[in-house]
Amino acid sequence: MLRTEGVTIKFGGLTAVNNVSVHIQKKKITGLIGPNGAGKTTFFNCISGVYVPNSGHVIFDGKNIEGKRGWQINQLGIARTYQVINLFWKMTVLENVMVGMHSRLKSGFWSDIFRTPAQRAEERRAIEKAYEWLDFVGLKDNANDPAGSLPYGGQRRLEIVRGLASDPKLLLLDEPAAGMNTKEKGELDVTLHQILEKGVTILMIEHDMKLVMGVCDYIYVLEHGQLLAEGLPDEVQNNPEVVKAYLGGDDE
Amino acid sequence: MKSKTLDSKKLIALIVGAVVLLALPLVLPNYALLILSFWELYIIAVSGLDLVFGYCGQISLGHAAFYAIGAYGSGMLHEYCGIPVFFTMIIAAFISAAIGALIAYPSSKLVFHFLSLASQAFGEIVYLLISHSPGKITGNYQGFFSDYINLFGYELDSYTSFYYFGLVCVIVFLVIKTFMVKSKTGRAFTAIRENTHAADGMGINVRKYKVIAFSVSAFYTAYAGAMYLHLTKFINPDTFMLKQSVMFLTMLLFGGSGCLLGPVMGSFVVLLVNEVLRALQDYQMFVYGILLLVVVVAMPGGLYGEIMRLVNFIKGKATQKAEVK
Amino acid sequence: MNMSVYGMLLVSSLAIGSIYGLIALGYALIYKSSGLLSFTQGDILTLGAYLGLTFYSILGIPFAISLLLTMACAFVLGILLEKGVIRQLLNKNVGAIYVVLATIAISYIIQNGSQLAWGTIQLNFPSVFPVQNVNIFGVNVRPEALMCFIVSIALMIILHFFMTKTRFGTSMRAASMDSMAAESLGIDVSLTTGVSWGLSAGLAAIAGMLIGPIYGVYSTLGSTIGRKGFSGAVIGGYGNMYGAMIGGLILGIVETFSASLISSTYRNLIAYALLLIFMFIKPTGIFNERAIQD
Repeated sequence: MLRTEGVTIKFGGLTAVNNVSVHIQKKKITGLIGPNGAGKTTFFNCISGVYVPNSGHVIFDGKNIEGKRGWQINQLGIARTYQVINLFWKMTVLENVMVGMHSRLKSGFWSDIFRTPAQRAEERRAIEKAYEWLDFVGLKDNANDPAGSLPYGGQRRLEIVRGLASDPKLLLLDEPAAGMNTKEKGELDVTLHQILEKGVTILMIEHDMKLVMGVCDYIYVLEHGQLLAEGLPDEVQNNPEVVKAYLGGDDE
Repeated sequence: MKSKTLDSKKLIALIVGAVVLLALPLVLPNYALLILSFWELYIIAVSGLDLVFGYCGQISLGHAAFYAIGAYGSGMLHEYCGIPVFFTMIIAAFISAAIGALIAYPSSKLVFHFLSLASQAFGEIVYLLISHSPGKITGNYQGFFSDYINLFGYELDSYTSFYYFGLVCVIVFLVIKTFMVKSKTGRAFTAIRENTHAADGMGINVRKYKVIAFSVSAFYTAYAGAMYLHLTKFINPDTFMLKQSVMFLTMLLFGGSGCLLGPVMGSFVVLLVNEVLRALQDYQMFVYGILLLVVVVAMPGGLYGEIMRLVNFIKGKATQKAEVK
Repeated sequence: MNMSVYGMLLVSSLAIGSIYGLIALGYALIYKSSGLLSFTQGDILTLGAYLGLTFYSILGIPFAISLLLTMACAFVLGILLEKGVIRQLLNKNVGAIYVVLATIAISYIIQNGSQLAWGTIQLNFPSVFPVQNVNIFGVNVRPEALMCFIVSIALMIILHFFMTKTRFGTSMRAASMDSMAAESLGIDVSLTTGVSWGLSAGLAAIAGMLIGPIYGVYSTLGSTIGRKGFSGAVIGGYGNMYGAMIGGLILGIVETFSASLISSTYRNLIAYALLLIFMFIKPTGIFNERAIQD
């Protein structure tokens, strides 16, 4: 589904991501872990078009997508969430989801300003669909509240569903459980599996080892911008290098 | 779900409002109708600016230029090409939209506040061109004369007829604005304002929508400029200086940006302030400065925002009382 | 045309160019310290010219001391502006776009305020030197024009050493690069930001006092210069101190020469056209400063 070949990103003299090659399997949940500052988010940004790799390739569905802009990559079928929540705060919860559908709505400028019958019908369907998505993560009752008024866990869930609204083939989740309590994490676990059942492949960065080990089918470990290890959760968990990196490394 | 009684209440308010608006020329003196006509064209100009500033979160200090392009464009198309006045207004507005797009496309890659510099420079260039036009085709400082609007043989030669014409224009422009902001296009604008980075991640072509917002905005303001010319039949470059752009911004911010009624209220209040302070014209900009600063510091939602806050406050009190009972 | 005409043009273009440079320098300082555009610079120039005129011509204080007094007043005004308005707004978490608007509002208040105080009639700034002209290499030069250039260059050099060689200057540069990191090193970022705004106001006021004797003093003196200063800043690379000065000088030269050699009708247009051309084609300016581009 998604492959990267020797992706390298440099900032000035600093190599943030160094020669990383991964292979994300269709309809699986793949985890990307590693200590803070390992370059995980930078790698994500590279897939989603925020950065262009200095060298290497990103291949999605058999097409090279490195160098494409973020919005083009979203249209191709990769949606994402952000480590720091990036909602449209003053828009309503419903509108946030509808912005997420942007790539899939066919109406254009002229049909919008004249509100043509086709545009009306599409808009009606979009609202229905948006309510379905909100129902999926339990935010239906908050549909008309501003996104900024949601509690933290709700904001995280809204980010996920906003990404899903574009009917992606691949969903990139950047620390979806950050700041969630145990109960919310448990719910997230369920939600992730439900997303998978909808046929969406997931690649996620996550620090919470219990969640990662429980939910992921395959795991890549990044350290200092380089791939340290990869494998099934059990293999990775018992890999001495990974253990060393985590013990000698950072907080989590 | 809204109750039926509320909808009928709204309907009654709408009918009363419409009757009042239609009856105004019967009771008001000519001078008041002139003011109302100005109000109408300012509503259109400021609503256009609102699309760029209030919805798309971009700051333009050059809207006087589009106002000028509409006014001079319409006047010159009529004068030199002999096109009937109403059509010239629409053509001029389209020309303005095209020029707006030409400015906005390269500007769209700039960080937001630098658009203010680019638009300001553009505004100055247009001002210099209309005040020093080659061959005096714009009349330069002597000004430029034109005709009344001609609607299929019917000449709008009174303030009353212009008022009705303006009313229709305002409704059309505001309806289109409402349609636009409550659609995929408008959501894209707002998403860009709220978080450009995330908008890009959601599949929104940020550059494209910035250009659309600016271009539509240029259309609105230019159309208002053309209305201005054919209302007063005379323009000169003094109207199209930077302070006109600042006046539009003051109207927008004072009324409240990012909503339908903000520009309507703001343009009315600032217009009244202008009329009251007519004797102190040298200090007009002082007043704009104070108004702007007060809005920015004390009421970022503008008049509309404050009123809504008051309404919500009263509603909150009412429900509180109801709960106590 | 002979050489002496070119010489005169060069001197007058360097004079006005260095004024643009001083204004642009202020923009750079403000941008570096707060990441903002300020539209107040031009009108502080006007205020500086009026203040200088008051000290020098009305109160009879010697020119050099008037210059320092004017600068001190503007310095305080700049700090008050930052602490009293800009910082308050930023603390309230309003968007940067509103802060920029606030500076526009303040610029109109200053402009009209000085009109209230000094009237609408153009005032004559008495000449500073006893002689009308000095002769340099066969070129007759107004000493005031020469002073413009020399004082501006001197200020630039002083500022350069202040920023690179003094502790406070180094703190200012550190704060502009990464305010969080600077704060953790014990640098008072609030102070350095205030001083940056004070310095840029001071520079603008000096520019006003330098240009006053040449252009006369009136309430819209600074607004055009302030707008053209933006062109200088963009040409040099917005936010770059050295670029500001070079950009200002380039603008002065291009504008003055084209006005007298080609046509003076579109003298002001050149500055704005240059601004747009640079912004659209080379937004990083001559000094490759990456402020403008998204």
